[in-house]
Amino acid sequence: MQYSDPPLLVLASLANGPKHGHAMIEDIVRLCGTRLGPGTLYGAIVRLEQQGWIEPLPPDERRRPYRITAEGVRILRAKLATLRQFTKAGLERLKAL
Amino acid sequence: MNPRLAHLLLLLYPRPWRERYGVEFEALLQTSHGDLRASANVVWSALCERVFPTPGLKIEQRRFQSWCVRAPWAMFGIAPLVLLAGAWFVALLILWSGWKIFLPGADTPFVPTDGMREFFYFNIGRSLYFGAPILIGWGIGLAAIRQRSKAFWPTVGLVAIALIGGTAQVHASRTVVPVGLGHIRMDFILPHSVQGVPDGLLHALLILSLTLLPWVIWRLQKALYLST
Repeated sequence: MQYSDPPLLVLASLANGPKHGHAMIEDIVRLCGTRLGPGTLYGAIVRLEQQGWIEPLPPDERRRPYRITAEGVRILRAKLATLRQFTKAGLERLKAL
Repeated sequence: MNPRLAHLLLLLYPRPWRERYGVEFEALLQTSHGDLRASANVVWSALCERVFPTPGLKIEQRRFQSWCVRAPWAMFGIAPLVLLAGAWFVALLILWSGWKIFLPGADTPFVPTDGMREFFYFNIGRSLYFGAPILIGWGIGLAAIRQRSKAFWPTVGLVAIALIGGTAQVHASRTVVPVGLGHIRMDFILPHSVQGVPDGLLHALLILSLTLLPWVIWRLQKALYLST
């Protein structure tokens, strides 16, 4: 089973430094095994940029790197905390089986 | 990915999107693996972007947009009615010509037919007749979403199309025309009642519900976008 929440995956990928599209796709594969399609990746990038959670950096030839903003870090932290709580509750329920 | 294919796929996106992300996206496509899967993914994403453009990206100042702003009553009220009239004219022409060609002796074209040719011919007209109000309604909804129009005129257009679509009835008879050419006419009435609710009104409500689908999907997508 693969985890698929493209905006969250992009935020998590950018958490350890700026990356361009191709580097994000490869990083997300290493992170959770999910390979985002190019359209899906840019759909997420566009939304995150519109919300101010990531920002573009000057282009490196034709590729443009993005970095996570302070607000993006806050959102990522909150989402991961929710996921951790959810995971913990789910695993405790499984223990009872 | 083949650079030519990458460029063609990029062209599927709206111009404002391409102006902002085109160069970097094309560079990404050229380094992508799995042509078929990646292509399908891009086609789907581009279609979504065309139907539901990203809020905040500058929308093109096209003639269509300016008409939507300057004369919304014409774009959302009159134009759909003209389109519906045109589609129904073609549908009735198919009905009338099918009657002449396949059922020359019959008093009405609304009789069961045996042959496949008759079946397909009459069903093209039938599909056009029943599908036109819904397709035109979708057109109104999508245009209103894309142009971020105020809700009033698109709503008037949708309700008008639904009422006309729900109350329209086609009658055909040969007896009223002495030369035997056959006569087809349309009436707009609320004929029968089902537990106090006119049948045509139920049909109009069904058409209205179907035509509101794009708007509902857009609202859901927007809600998901805000909750991301």
